[in-house]
Amino acid sequence: MIFLFIIIPLVLASLMPLLGKISKRFLPDLLANATMLFLLVFSVIYAKPLIAKGGIIQQAFWFGTPLNIRLLVDGFSLFMLFTISLVSLAVTLYSIDYMEHYGAKANYYALLLLMIAGMNGLVLATDLFNIYMFLEVAAVASYALVAFGLGHDELEASFKYLMLSAVASAFILLAITIIFALTGGVGFGAVAAGLKMLNIKYVVGFCSALFLMGFGLKAAIVPFHSWLPDAHPSAPAPISAMLSGVLIKVSGVYAMMRIFMNVFGLTPALTSVLSVLGIVSIFVGALAALGQNDIKRMLAYSSISQIGYVVLGFAIGTPLGILGGLFHLFNHALFKSLLFLNAGAVEQSTGTRSLDKMGGLAKRMPLTAATSAVASLSIAGIPPLNGFWSKLLIIIALVQAKMPVLAVLAVLGSVVTLWYYLVLQRNAFFGRLNETWKAVKEAPFWMSVSTVMLALLCIITGLLFPLIIRSWLQPATDVLSGGVGVALNFLGF
Amino acid sequence: MHLLLMIGLVVFSIVSVLIHDLLKAAISLAAASIFLALIFFRMNAVYAGVFEVSVVAGLITVLFITAIALTRSDENVNESKYHLFIFPLFFAGLVIIDVLVMKNLLGRIPAISSPETGSFGDVLWKGRSFDLIGQIGVIFAGVLAVLALFRPKGKSAQGDKHE
Repeated sequence: MIFLFIIIPLVLASLMPLLGKISKRFLPDLLANATMLFLLVFSVIYAKPLIAKGGIIQQAFWFGTPLNIRLLVDGFSLFMLFTISLVSLAVTLYSIDYMEHYGAKANYYALLLLMIAGMNGLVLATDLFNIYMFLEVAAVASYALVAFGLGHDELEASFKYLMLSAVASAFILLAITIIFALTGGVGFGAVAAGLKMLNIKYVVGFCSALFLMGFGLKAAIVPFHSWLPDAHPSAPAPISAMLSGVLIKVSGVYAMMRIFMNVFGLTPALTSVLSVLGIVSIFVGALAALGQNDIKRMLAYSSISQIGYVVLGFAIGTPLGILGGLFHLFNHALFKSLLFLNAGAVEQSTGTRSLDKMGGLAKRMPLTAATSAVASLSIAGIPPLNGFWSKLLIIIALVQAKMPVLAVLAVLGSVVTLWYYLVLQRNAFFGRLNETWKAVKEAPFWMSVSTVMLALLCIITGLLFPLIIRSWLQPATDVLSGGVGVALNFLGF
Repeated sequence: MHLLLMIGLVVFSIVSVLIHDLLKAAISLAAASIFLALIFFRMNAVYAGVFEVSVVAGLITVLFITAIALTRSDENVNESKYHLFIFPLFFAGLVIIDVLVMKNLLGRIPAISSPETGSFGDVLWKGRSFDLIGQIGVIFAGVLAVLALFRPKGKSAQGDKHE
């Protein structure tokens, strides 16, 4: 049944262009939103009980016939499925109104559904080559979605993204090839067992470096980040939200951490490299964001900075650090999607992305301004919003792991984050209303529904964080902190 | 013989990267692909060899040449000259690492892989069913990307106004 997470979006994506011929807007809107709502509810009602006694490997069936497809449902993969479904629902709701002026809505939904099928497949995969395969499904769909506006900027950004992504894929494939040549398998369990038996730490180190470059490029960790500040702002707003909100986390962070923690095992060398890359990403992203005038470009640099926190949390390797990393991953998915959706609403109403030209928009777009303020305060780590708790967990974990210097740097990074988000809020929404924007109206209904939903989730997650941690984050943390043992005992088939 | 084929593969690959004329680059890539296919055949990877010749050397070259024939040539493009020395530098670095480290490193590894069992069809259909779903996804994504990117522009040119 868990196979439905892949097959429903895949089948619907193939039908979408045909449905678009029957009904240009209504059917594609309805089906895309219904699918996302179903997957979200399905992940809570059906999939959540599956991990009650740890994870399971589920065999896929096709009309009663068993297929040679085994899918991994454990705390970590289910947590990612839930995050993907939640952000996707917000994005499809928002697209109902926003994508009207782009045309070809059915094609847009088809590509979006394929990207979601790719991400779900990646998360449920039980071997390295499956991960590569579904990474490509999500990536190919995302190249087209970045260029969906067909303007000069979009096409250029998409080409740059494609080129760098191809390099990342080459690194990942090379690492998988070497591992397959050595261990004779690509399944998580087989590889973990083979590597343990062979005891070849230099080759594992070499493969780790290749994976780090490949998945690091997908996750846009500094120094592999150069494609992101072009690709994310150029895409239509809901796609920017999807890319920054979940794609970089699934194809970068999830894949990297699943392999490093459950298959290779986190070594001290890897911990040091990841910590340094994390902290450098926090500062490079934050300082670059500070100098931006284009609202979406600022948000894109901010994504690099926040991914730094997530990687730093995982790199600590302690259960608390992993918990903090996972919580920040979830929170960032919520508030960064919200900020990109708000930026899209502002761009649609005013026709500009330049912060200099905005000003006083809160008077004309109160909902957008309010939700944007919630997201900005969350991402900057102001209590009691969700971003505060996740950053606090990461900082406490750093102190406990005797890394006080990194803890201080993480706090400083958060101060810079607050700084540039205050600049964004002041320039865009507060101050005197620019004469040009007197006729500007609030975002349409569905766009507002989507942003209000995400803003409420930011507040609820902040207030009810112990509940979220107990029900969703702790099972995921257990899987990751279980290390290679998880792959050996549970995935060894 | 292997060494000669390898040299052919590397030389034609380099030519296809460095050459300015797109048509010659496409043909050079096809030649490199034929050398690779011959290596596959000699190493008993018959299916990989057949696919390499038919798809990469054949089909893709035809597509490249068709695409080049359909586009206008623009002589005014100013390409950076950096790649002329950066690429050979990287290539030399890679060869040095390969000769000095990789052979020694990989030679010492007690690999536990066993020869492939089962026929090609068995491996593909029964062993790697999940990858086939991914493959279908990639093909769909490619088709939908072409449909989306080559649609009539109409009211969709929103991106241009940002500049």
